[in-house]
Amino acid sequence: MSLTSRDVTARYDELAELVVDVERRGPGDVALVAEAATLVAHEARLLAARRYDEWLAGWSDDAVLWVPMVPTHPAADQSLLLDDRRRLAERVRWRAEPSAWGQQPPSRTTRVVGSVEAWRSGDRVIVRSGLVLHEHRRARAQLLVGHQIHEFVDEASRCRTKILLLPQLSLGIRNPSFLL
Amino acid sequence: MTADHLTPEALHRLVEPHRVHRRIYTDPEIFELEQTRVFAASWSYVAHESEIPAPGDFTTTKVGGRPVVVTRDGAGAVHALLNRCSHRGALFTLASSGCAKRFTCPYHGWSFANDGRLVSLPFPQNHPVQDGDRSQFDLGRLAVAEYRGFVFATLHPDPEPLEEWLGPATEPFDHIVDRHPGGRLRVLPSPQQLEFDGTWKLAWDNAAAGLHATFAHRSYNVLGSDADIDTVLARDPGRTPMVAKALGHGHMVVDQRPGIPDGPWSTMRAVPFREPLVEELVASGAGGDLDLATGSMVNLSLFPNLIFVGNQLLVVEPIAVDRTRLSAHLVLAPDAPAEIDLLRLRVDEDFISFGTPDDLDMFERVQQGLAIPEMEWIDVSRGLRDGPDVPAADGVVTGPITSEAPQRGYLARYRDLLTTEVITRVR
Repeated sequence: MSLTSRDVTARYDELAELVVDVERRGPGDVALVAEAATLVAHEARLLAARRYDEWLAGWSDDAVLWVPMVPTHPAADQSLLLDDRRRLAERVRWRAEPSAWGQQPPSRTTRVVGSVEAWRSGDRVIVRSGLVLHEHRRARAQLLVGHQIHEFVDEASRCRTKILLLPQLSLGIRNPSFLL
Repeated sequence: MTADHLTPEALHRLVEPHRVHRRIYTDPEIFELEQTRVFAASWSYVAHESEIPAPGDFTTTKVGGRPVVVTRDGAGAVHALLNRCSHRGALFTLASSGCAKRFTCPYHGWSFANDGRLVSLPFPQNHPVQDGDRSQFDLGRLAVAEYRGFVFATLHPDPEPLEEWLGPATEPFDHIVDRHPGGRLRVLPSPQQLEFDGTWKLAWDNAAAGLHATFAHRSYNVLGSDADIDTVLARDPGRTPMVAKALGHGHMVVDQRPGIPDGPWSTMRAVPFREPLVEELVASGAGGDLDLATGSMVNLSLFPNLIFVGNQLLVVEPIAVDRTRLSAHLVLAPDAPAEIDLLRLRVDEDFISFGTPDDLDMFERVQQGLAIPEMEWIDVSRGLRDGPDVPAADGVVTGPITSEAPQRGYLARYRDLLTTEVITRVR
């Protein structure tokens, strides 16, 4: 079934509402946290190890990765990136290209995930976690701190939505091509 | 007394027609001079009218490192004010933008109208201002002028008229504005902010460098060919009819339109959520508007701080001799079909994802290479094999995109500014 422009704006509305909704929620579901923390830590480990094909396989077909400059609404302001599954695949493809000078040699990243909270929402699981992201490349390092929201769906717990909220983006960061 | 290596004569020797000396890229003392002579004393872009549409609106920026607040007063006039309380010097606002009739300094309560006038101070009875001319305590004002909704400001004591400063750059400038329905543009509030460890000149060297697209942007072109798209950067730079121009006053343009007969949209790979937007636009009979979703293909650079690329206003801010900030402000077309802006938002992220990182890496490689003192000179002679640059009657030098005439043009302007001792002042 093909999308309409109304579906596009509805998906954008959903992203904006998810950020607001998660901040308003009460404490998470204790019974869910262990499973949710495992999913988020696994994703962080795949990224740090640059196991991108496995990482890509963990996304649903209608996936969105959103990294806003300021988390308002994807149609109302600039983002650093808002990817569908096709562009996520392009990022993986680009990283493998020897002439992608901005990632050759590649960034080494360390991701520390903490303060995991999770809620069940129908057949979806919403997870909010703190993120400390250290990147180093060509003898220089930068540290980004923020939080992330994941939405996992279906039996395979594939990721349908990931939102990276990094306040430092609006201060200016160096070469952002390591961000996923 | 000026040190020997900073006299106008000594500085003049650093920029030759064929080559430039590494010191203009690496010397912190020259950087300090540039902040005043090249940035503060030139017209600099400070805001677009759509960022301050209503009376009281303000936005903040920097001019030659000086914090500046751009305001619209109650009568609709635009002012560029130094963000410095006239009492003890504190920044009177820390907001990046907002709406205010008055700015009250939080330190001792001095209060200024949004046109810069001192309107009140607490306990005035024991301050000499009570008896004297209050206007001496107004906020520092820059000279301001507007062109097509773009606001420029300067601290030059006697600036040339803005349109003379723009000169032949008005033609590509008009093209970029007029492709938007009604000539209306809207700049979004939260620019993408990137920094690199290198001089601001690296961004300037790059903006009109047609040849780097083939090599530095190989990865971008590979993504294009994977998707059966002939990206604009993949054209053979030795054969394309695209042109590069030095427009005078350091302004430069690369006009890619002659090299893309199928129009800008034909050069774009698929961006997220493109299909339904394109289908509905085409179904409504507005498929011809799709070229508006991507850039004008006229890359205009207004020296020293504004580069039009794609649908972005790239503002170049020097932070240190080896540190530069690029603020990429996306421009929307509010009077175009809504699908155009929805596409622009995602197109905006394409080059910053797969092109800009490679540029940033090159900038830092150059800065690190230029730290080597024994290799003193940087070549800028491409295009001079058959003789010097020959300006047309309007002063414009036109060459193929492999020519470094635009870089020579900005460097000549840079040398003129750097070697001109000027007393910048507020008005």
